[in-house]
Amino acid sequence: MVQCSDALVWELTKNNTSFMRKVNGKTKRSGTVRFSVEKGNVKNISSYKYSGLANSKTVDVSATDDNRAALSTKSSKASTQPSKGQPVTPLNKSFRRVEKTITSQVADNNYRPDLKADALARYSAIYAGNRVAKGVKKSVPVKKGRGKAE
Amino acid sequence: MAARPLVSVFSLTGDKSGEATLPAVMTAPLRPDIVQFVHTNMNKNNRQAYAVSIRAGKQVSASSWGTGRAVARIPRVGGGGTSRSGQGAFGNMCRGGRMFNPTKTWRKWHKKINTTQKRYAVASALAATAVPALVMARGHRVDEVPEIPLVLDNAVESTKKTSVAKDILAAVGALADVEKAADSKQIRSGKGKMRNRRYTLRRGPLIIYSNNDGVEQAFRNLPGVELCNVDRLNLLQLAPGGHMGRFCIWSKSALEALDTIYGEDGKRIPAVPMVNA
Repeated sequence: MVQCSDALVWELTKNNTSFMRKVNGKTKRSGTVRFSVEKGNVKNISSYKYSGLANSKTVDVSATDDNRAALSTKSSKASTQPSKGQPVTPLNKSFRRVEKTITSQVADNNYRPDLKADALARYSAIYAGNRVAKGVKKSVPVKKGRGKAE
Repeated sequence: MAARPLVSVFSLTGDKSGEATLPAVMTAPLRPDIVQFVHTNMNKNNRQAYAVSIRAGKQVSASSWGTGRAVARIPRVGGGGTSRSGQGAFGNMCRGGRMFNPTKTWRKWHKKINTTQKRYAVASALAATAVPALVMARGHRVDEVPEIPLVLDNAVESTKKTSVAKDILAAVGALADVEKAADSKQIRSGKGKMRNRRYTLRRGPLIIYSNNDGVEQAFRNLPGVELCNVDRLNLLQLAPGGHMGRFCIWSKSALEALDTIYGEDGKRIPAVPMVNA
């Protein structure tokens, strides 16, 4: 494995990666927000703290194909082995039990305690999305605003 | 650098079949600035000259009417009987006149780059191919690949058929990148499509071998796949677009050859300017 420290990888990838999405920034009033959609980025924000590429320890909660969720972390032993380097924990139980799983995997074993709140927030969003997809909950139709000449 | 780590070598069916030491080049400093500089200049070396005709806009016998005739003093086409007569000529601002500073064929199209800089860039680009984060950041689909750098048995150099080549890549997890390239074929936007550059394609894996026993012909038709002999590594292939981290698939002898090419008797590996205490 090449000794490429987290900070070095961040310096090399902070300005361009294939995962970076820049939004807004086209007017004087709006600033550009930089998103980054790689696996391993729990908030999808392009910054050192959240980067899924630069950090050797990452946390991510994603939705699986059958409308369930999975928690994936990065293994330090398998850093050069992409197919093995992301152990995945399925999150199929009730909301409260999953919440305990996430907390224990992320914070209680001191893996990435700074990402606990973000991981839980992401799980909440995925959970809500899964419920809509399964038909348990109906999605709220977007309300038409006032004063829009359509 | 300390003891160099071992890299697994995979057989053509995807099972681990041996080990090799990581070549010393892979520990060269990662310098995106040098790679970008050398790449932009190297990219100019296969340009073809273009220029306007030397006579463009000058094939008129026009002369100025001078003052006193209530018209601008630009040279005007003489004669009569056609709408062209009396029109301004010669100036860059005139319709049908010659352009400002006509382009010439003797423009310096090629860029000379110092040999040391070129070698530094190649060493840096090689080191970047061994960092999975950089390969993923460049956009290659390497989630299924068992290890980076990906080294295959020397038997890969004797592949003869493309169908076999495709199976090898599938067994080793590299097919996702080839499929990404295949799906990305689009008609180019802009005038390039009428100038023999009709399609654009993403780049897939770069296969580096040391002995061509059929590899070139087996793999070259797969979309996005490029091949390179280890003796002639090309920065334009190792860092396409000036971005480090191409997904490279090595044959075992090619990886081991790197230690000879970049060794005591070979090319110098750039020194790391700073080492952590």
